[in-house]
Amino acid sequence: MPAIKDIPDAVFEETITRAVKEVFSTMLSQPARYVPLDQPEPESLELEHPQVVGTVGFIGAINGLIYLYMDVAFAQKCAASLLGVSEVELSEMGDEAVNDAIGELTNMTVGTFKNQLSDRGFACRLTIPSILRGSRFRIEPISSATRRIYRFDIAGCAITADLLMQPGE
Amino acid sequence: MRYKILSVDDSKTVRIIIKKAFKNYDCEILEAANGVEGLAIANKEPPDVILLDVTMPVMDGVEMLTKLKSDPNLKAIPVVMLTAEGGKDNVLKIAKIGVRDYIVKPFKEDVLVQKVGRIIDLKPITDAPSKNKSIFDPAKLLVVEDKPAIFAQIQEGLKHTPWQLHGVATTGEAIDYCGANAVDLIMISLSLPEDAAFTLFRVLRTSLKTKYTPIFGLVVKTDNAAQQQAQQVGFTGIATKPLDLPDLEAKIARAMNLDTSERYFRIDGDMFVMRLPETCTPSVIAEVGNYLRGKVSDAVDSGIGRAVFDLHEVKRLDMQLIKLLLTAMQTCREVALQYTLVGSGPVVAECKGYEDTKGWQFHETIEEARQSFAKTNAAPVA
Repeated sequence: MPAIKDIPDAVFEETITRAVKEVFSTMLSQPARYVPLDQPEPESLELEHPQVVGTVGFIGAINGLIYLYMDVAFAQKCAASLLGVSEVELSEMGDEAVNDAIGELTNMTVGTFKNQLSDRGFACRLTIPSILRGSRFRIEPISSATRRIYRFDIAGCAITADLLMQPGE
Repeated sequence: MRYKILSVDDSKTVRIIIKKAFKNYDCEILEAANGVEGLAIANKEPPDVILLDVTMPVMDGVEMLTKLKSDPNLKAIPVVMLTAEGGKDNVLKIAKIGVRDYIVKPFKEDVLVQKVGRIIDLKPITDAPSKNKSIFDPAKLLVVEDKPAIFAQIQEGLKHTPWQLHGVATTGEAIDYCGANAVDLIMISLSLPEDAAFTLFRVLRTSLKTKYTPIFGLVVKTDNAAQQQAQQVGFTGIATKPLDLPDLEAKIARAMNLDTSERYFRIDGDMFVMRLPETCTPSVIAEVGNYLRGKVSDAVDSGIGRAVFDLHEVKRLDMQLIKLLLTAMQTCREVALQYTLVGSGPVVAECKGYEDTKGWQFHETIEEARQSFAKTNAAPVA
């Protein structure tokens, strides 16, 4: 089994891209397009609008956390589509329904990412999803973790995947 | 009977997607947010299939699955894992505990329905009311009886029905037959040696194929203990020996929820015909009475304006039958349906002896009744 530092960036890029594409096309019938960043490790995620951020961790041969950022309007669209309700009905269901739906989309995305790592010999298991909401916040990894950021375009809306990983057991 | 599917997932979103996926099928979705709740529901209201997530708070799916498989009452419930926890090693580890299928999220709703449909017989919900099977439809009946004379009696007594009877002498043969055939009703002799009838009953109730199949106990009339035990464990009905075969036939029809109305009611050209059999037992009269209003209403709704009460086979008139006929006449009057009577012989003569019936006039045949409507086109006699 190679060490985490020996895995080329291209593998992580390919793995997270496949995960995002698979989840959004299967669950929401929306194709996702990978959008390369101008700089590989940006200082800031440049998030201007209120965000809904889903996060799920994985622990095992690699320990990691993946954050999926999307703006509130897009999160609501995704939740309505996933639950099969109109946006009016969704607003009656409240923010909890949106949080739960984005938590599940993140769970599926991180699960698909993690399962590919497991099949490469890095056995891990998932943690329970959680949700952050807010504007102008910044997540900073601990020094031993590596950070990779990937952007995707889904029907004209941006989602950002923020991968924080460090060697595990 | 509705199949029950238990969804155990901490995500309400997933539980809603599952409900959405099965909304067009005749099944009930039970919900639990973790393994503890899942086990409690499975114990209280045993489902036919469990859809189980892995990563959940309080009790995860692996622990719940392990507990299910170690519980004699729950271990037979098929489990389909529905989880983001894929990866070959994980899947193999969980599969070893015992699952029927494994679906890795993300998932398409139709794949979920397809996989569950391999385990239970999912039936789409239709807008039109479902038509019950009729007394004239074929059905498979299994008789588990070690005394050939009893099976022969049942066969003889039901030979006029379209039902196919199969007799076996042992529980092993019964289980094999039920595994290979879709059986509509099972009769088990409660006097099989070593309480085998009750053991067989339990085995049949744990199999998805026979979980809801009506099961009758065959027992000597005086064996109250066996009858009581059968009722306690949940046998659908009891038929006592010596067998009253017309009564057994009526019980079977009720247990299989068969529509018996075609025996008594039909549309003949432009007429609604209610035909009564040779012997009108109280159960026959009750059965006809139950269908009467609905059938008259259906006839009027389909444009029928005339009714015939056909008593030509009836051998004897009694007060119950007279009451039924008076009710039928009143029902017809309420919806402005013209009616007349067909009958001959002793019944016609008997009618002269009752105040309520002495004015009734009969035609000898249906055809004659039809012609009388054509001639008079007026309210007939009553």
